[in-house]
Amino acid sequence: MTTPLLDIRDLHVEADGSPVIHGVNLSIPIGETHVLFGPNGSGKSSLLATIMGLAPYRVTSGEIWFKGQRIDALPVDKRAQMGLGMSFQRPPALEGVTVEAFTAAIGSSALLESEASALDFNGFAERDVNAGFSGGEIKRWEILKLLLKRPDLSLFDEPESGVDLEHIAAVGKAIDRLLGADTPADPQRTALVITHTGFILDYIHADVGHLMVDGRIVGSADPRTLFSHIKAHGYSMPPVTANVSQTI
Amino acid sequence: MATLLGADITPEEKQQLAPVGYSIEGEHSATCVLVDQDVRHIAVNDPDVEILPLKDALTRYDWVQDLMFKLINPTENDHVAQAAESRHAPVGHFIRVRKGAKVRLPVQVFTLLETPQGRQFHHNITVIEEGAEVEMISGSAVPPSVHAGHHLSISETYLREGATCRSVSIEHWGPAMEVHSYARTHVGTNARVIESNIQVSPVKHHYSQSRTVIEDGGVSNDQSVIFAPAGTGRVMESEIHLKGVNARSESIARMVTGGGTITNRTTLVGEGRDTKGFLGCNGLKLSDEGEILSVPALRARSAQAQLSHEASIGMIDQAKLSYLMASGMSEDAARDLIVQGFLNLDAQQLPEAIRVEVSRTIAAANSGAL
Repeated sequence: MTTPLLDIRDLHVEADGSPVIHGVNLSIPIGETHVLFGPNGSGKSSLLATIMGLAPYRVTSGEIWFKGQRIDALPVDKRAQMGLGMSFQRPPALEGVTVEAFTAAIGSSALLESEASALDFNGFAERDVNAGFSGGEIKRWEILKLLLKRPDLSLFDEPESGVDLEHIAAVGKAIDRLLGADTPADPQRTALVITHTGFILDYIHADVGHLMVDGRIVGSADPRTLFSHIKAHGYSMPPVTANVSQTI
Repeated sequence: MATLLGADITPEEKQQLAPVGYSIEGEHSATCVLVDQDVRHIAVNDPDVEILPLKDALTRYDWVQDLMFKLINPTENDHVAQAAESRHAPVGHFIRVRKGAKVRLPVQVFTLLETPQGRQFHHNITVIEEGAEVEMISGSAVPPSVHAGHHLSISETYLREGATCRSVSIEHWGPAMEVHSYARTHVGTNARVIESNIQVSPVKHHYSQSRTVIEDGGVSNDQSVIFAPAGTGRVMESEIHLKGVNARSESIARMVTGGGTITNRTTLVGEGRDTKGFLGCNGLKLSDEGEILSVPALRARSAQAQLSHEASIGMIDQAKLSYLMASGMSEDAARDLIVQGFLNLDAQQLPEAIRVEVSRTIAAANSGAL
């Protein structure tokens, strides 16, 4: 049995003293794309932020393993340097820090022009990161940011929300390209995606869907089947797959 | 090239001045370097620019004496009174840009204090004549071997009607030095001055005082980038007088303390009709050490003066730090990027070499290397 790229074991998390995640188990093998569904406040964004190591989330018990190494005590930059990357839902505006300066700081200047073209993001090099960006521009930048780093595991927090119809295909294709292999020898990249609208499912090959409710993963299923059920019946599991073990 | 005074400065001196803006003289309309108490080097490539030691200008042009101590009161304080009453010939430069000239290449002017525990006392006068346009780079530096000393300067700058001057000033003094500077600027009718002041290197105590008077239709825009690492104390006191009808001013100070103290008192005075002015004072504190005191003040003497100010002091936002670190930057690199963004170095239109040096200085201070 191969070691999963990400392995979360009985994870409990609190934020500012309040419990937000209650015993999540989740394994994602290399090359798979998993999708998290759930109502607002169910803990999806908290889970992604915890994996990335962001404040104010604190692991109270349980473990997070990445590439066979326990990471739940590592600072955020070390996790990123190991190959984790995240597309933020509401990233901060960085006044005075241009897209160009950011790109130079992560050592990806050579890629900026070509990757920006694919996302219709040309002309933003001199703009301050996320400052004055529209909702859709923020999401396109967040994807572009990941394309510039090509992390082994990408965490997407609602990548399509706020993106206008004109650009949603570009965003979807960019994510699909990000998760694809650069060369035949390059293994497919891995992803955990939060989506509310499900639009993104039209563009990426998703392998597993998980339903998260009240800080717990209550079931897992084929992502399209699960999303169709949620659209029709709300946030519950389809009858056939209900009560599937939390561990995949 | 017409070298008017002295031999070339040495390669070592050029190297010391490079971080504060010195570059190839052939790419500048004029170069002037003051070393200790001498006007060591003047080279002029453009007939529309004239540079002389001030003592020579006083004897060559009888009108220059009328410009000296015209913008600053000789009894302003002990420092200025000492200069006014000195029996020695003044040391400093006289720069003149002739009427109507559109000077294509920048003028570069530097001050170097080479003697440990040296005392510098300079008085500089600049006249941009009617309708002339010029860009100036000025820098102050010490060699690495000089830590302590005292630099005192008085500058009086005149922009005649319709003149334009864009200037960048960079200071890099010794960490145990005392510096006192008194700057006075008269912005004539429809004249325009655009200034960037960069003070990021460690210095024991730097007191700078400035007063700008703007006549009818005149414009003054200045931006200051101020950094105080631990052990550095900076005090800035400035007054901007919107004297004439329709005079305009915008003054922006961005201050960061990495453990040093910064005091910034700026007063904007609306005297003329239909004047408009803005003060922006933003501070960033990198640790619990040090202090920033920001006191922007508005004084309206005309009922038709529109004056406003904005002031803030904060710390580095943890969310911004985490966001950058989530792309793999170390905490130090993320802090540097945020600080440099806050200081808005890109907006200063700095020469690349200076931008690199400023970034390096801030990074070194952040990492505790200074």
